[in-house]
Amino acid sequence: MPVSASYVVREASANLWRNRLMTVAAVLTVAVSLTLVGSALLAKQGATNATVKWQQGVNVIVWVNPDASTTLNHSVGTELGQNPLVKSCIFRSQAYDYNEARRVDSADEFDATVQSDYPSSYRCVLVNPSDANALVQEYTGKPGIYGAPSSPTAQIRTMENVIHVLQWVFLAIAVILLLSASVLILNTIRMAIFARRREVSVMKLVGATNWFIRLPFMNQQSLFAQMSMGGWEVAGTCILVGLVGMLVGVIGSAFAVRRFLDV
Amino acid sequence: MITFQNVTKTYKGSTVALRDCSVEIDKGEFVFLVGPSGSGKTTFIRLLLREEVPDKGRIWEAGKEIGHLSKWRIPYLRRNIGCVFQDFRLLPNKTVFENVAFALEVIGRPKHVISSQVPQVLDLVGLTKKAGNLPGELSGGEQQRVAVARAFVNRPLILLADEPTGNLDPTTSLGIMRLLDRINRTGTTVVVATHDAGMVDQMRRRVIELDRGTMVRDQARGVYGLDSAVAAAGAGSPTGTLVETAPAAVDVDLDFDGDDDPDRFREDG
Repeated sequence: MPVSASYVVREASANLWRNRLMTVAAVLTVAVSLTLVGSALLAKQGATNATVKWQQGVNVIVWVNPDASTTLNHSVGTELGQNPLVKSCIFRSQAYDYNEARRVDSADEFDATVQSDYPSSYRCVLVNPSDANALVQEYTGKPGIYGAPSSPTAQIRTMENVIHVLQWVFLAIAVILLLSASVLILNTIRMAIFARRREVSVMKLVGATNWFIRLPFMNQQSLFAQMSMGGWEVAGTCILVGLVGMLVGVIGSAFAVRRFLDV
Repeated sequence: MITFQNVTKTYKGSTVALRDCSVEIDKGEFVFLVGPSGSGKTTFIRLLLREEVPDKGRIWEAGKEIGHLSKWRIPYLRRNIGCVFQDFRLLPNKTVFENVAFALEVIGRPKHVISSQVPQVLDLVGLTKKAGNLPGELSGGEQQRVAVARAFVNRPLILLADEPTGNLDPTTSLGIMRLLDRINRTGTTVVVATHDAGMVDQMRRRVIELDRGTMVRDQARGVYGLDSAVAAAGAGSPTGTLVETAPAAVDVDLDFDGDDDPDRFREDG
C-alpha cells in the first residue's frame, strides 16, 4: 500500500499545529506522567542501591554498661578487635550516644535522662554481615556489657520488606500513570479525529485504506511522546521511558482511531 | 455491472428498508432510483457502497460478490465507485483543486497523475477557473460539480448519486444532470436516487421505483410516477408535479424512520 512518508509527516504536523493548544497540554501532561514514571523507576533503583549499601555497613552495636570501669571498657574493645567475626570497631562515648539519643528519641523521653544514663558503645562492622546473630549471642550477658548488643539485621529485614513493598507500590503508580497518559492521549487523538471526521468520512468514501487514515494520527501521537520524553533523553535517562511513551502513544491512538474506521 | 439477488435489509428495531429486491443493472446504464422518503433508496446506495451488508440475498458489483467482502478489501471496492451526495461533502478548508486531488492522493496516486487528471476533470465539470477557490466561495451548483469531479476523477466503473440535486434549483439541477449524463456516456454506470420528478421525466432513462422497501416498478424509459405520467401526458409543468408528490413523501416519512435518517452518515453535527 503506497503511503508516502511525506504525506504522513505533513498530515501529522498539520494536525499538531491545528490543535496546538491541545497539543501543548497533552505534551505537558504526558511529560509529567513520563517524568513520574521515570522517577518511580529511579526511586526503585535507588532503594535497591540503598539496601545494598546499608547491608554492607551493617553494625553490631555492643553497649558497654555505664557502670563498667574504664579498664573493663577497654578490654571489651580489645576483645572485640581480636574477634575473628569482626572486621573493625569504632568506640562511641557516652556523650556521643547521648547526642544520638537527642536526635532519635522524642523530647519527653530524652528530657527524662542525663548523659551518665547512656551506655558507651562499640559499633562493629563484621567480616560477614550474616554472622551478626552469632556475635550478639556471644556478647549477651558478658561482664560489663549492657543488655543485649543490638543487631540491625532484624531491622534491615523489616526495612527490606518495606522496600520490597514500596517497589511494588512504585510500579503500581507507574502503571497507573501510564494508563492515565494513555487515556489522555486517547482523548486528544479522539478530539483530533473528531475535528477531522468529515475528512475521514471523505477518505473512506473515496477508498482510502484504514492504515492510510490511521498512520498520520499514530505518527502524531508518537511525536507527542517524543516531545514529552525530550527532557528525559537530554538528561540521558531511561531510553526505556521514551520507548514506553511512544508505545503508549501509538497504542492509544490506534484505539482511538478504530471506532472511526468502522464501515 | 450491478446485480441484486433477493436482497433484504432490515435496520435494528425498525421496519424493513429493502424487501426481497432483485435487479440487474448493466454496464453503461443510467438508472434513476425513485420513491418517497423511507422507500429504501439510500439503503440501496449504502449497500452498493458496502456501508451496510444485506441481511438476506446477494449483491454483485463489477463481477464481485460484495456481501462477504472482507473488511480490508472494502477500500479497494470503493475505488471503483464514485459517490455524490445531496450535501456535497466537500472539505471546507481545501480548495477546489485540492478537494478533487484529495481523492487521488488518499488512494496513493503519484503526483504526476494528480497534476494531469485533476485539471482534466475540472475542465469536464467546467470549473477550471475556480480551481483555486474554497468551496465556501462557490454556489451550490458549483459545489456539487466539484463533488461530481471528485467522484469521477478516479474514472470509477460506477457513479452513485444520492439526491444530487436535492439542494439545488431546477436550472442548476439540469446542469448537474447533464454532467452525470456526459459521464454516463464515457461508459460509466450511473445510479441516481432522486425525488426530482421533473428531471426524471425529462431525461427518460430507466426508472426503478421503490415503495416501503419493495421494488414496485422497473421501467426502461420511465417517468417519475403515475402523477408524472399524467402530468407528462397532459400540460402539467414539472414544478407542478413536484408539489403534488411532496406531501406523499412527508406522509411516508412519518411511518418510516428508516434509512433516510441523516444521523446515519455520522456527518456534520
